[in-house]
Amino acid sequence: MIKVRIPTPLRPLTKGQGEVEAKGGSIDEMINHLEGAHPGIKGRLCDEKGELRRFVNIYVNEEDIRFLKGKDTILKDGDEVSIVPAIAGGN
Amino acid sequence: MLSLKIPRQILDEMVAHARALAPFECCGLLAGQDGTVSRHYRITNTVAKDAQAVEVFDAANVKQLADLSEKRKAEVAYFMDPKEMLAAFKDMRERQLDLIVIYHSHTHSPAYPSMTDVGLALYPDAAYLIISLENKTAPDVQAYWIKDHRITQAEFHAI
Repeated sequence: MIKVRIPTPLRPLTKGQGEVEAKGGSIDEMINHLEGAHPGIKGRLCDEKGELRRFVNIYVNEEDIRFLKGKDTILKDGDEVSIVPAIAGGN
Repeated sequence: MLSLKIPRQILDEMVAHARALAPFECCGLLAGQDGTVSRHYRITNTVAKDAQAVEVFDAANVKQLADLSEKRKAEVAYFMDPKEMLAAFKDMRERQLDLIVIYHSHTHSPAYPSMTDVGLALYPDAAYLIISLENKTAPDVQAYWIKDHRITQAEFHAI
């Protein structure tokens, strides 16, 4: 199982849970598995083409997947995935 | 919504953070329990250094940053260092604290959310606090809830 940390803005989709379990051999598979258990979450993470939204940061064991293989990053049993939407703004 | 409670020392630290980085925007997070802040995380504004920042602002269609100099970017925008955010959220989890406030400074404009702030407000449960240094001798600190592009004042008081 993969442990997935859910940020507060997405917790309405996970019945308030900050941590859920998911399956999958890659980030892409994990997102599809999450969507099955928590419908609507994929649309918050990915655009219409299925690409990860640019403001969504995903970490596998604290490594940013942008510096790994993006959504093809391999996952293994026991990995911890954190989803952290960007915080930005300006004057 | 209850009035948030923020220790005076943390309010002073945030204003000091804003002053120290001016004319560049500062940013950070406050955490605590039940609306009472107990912990302050300064986060580095990496808008000038991180290519992802330009993509995020472009995708949200809120500000064109690509053609600005690094210096100018940090004067008009902030982008929290993702790695530092991850570390702050981990610390909150370990201390069983919740994110309560997301703050940044406006070095040349009032303490009111800009279109950019509203377009990029992804955390509806956190209050967005803005430190304005428009009046250098009298910094103005205000907080807001930003939900579905609607802005309402978030009450807070010093403790």
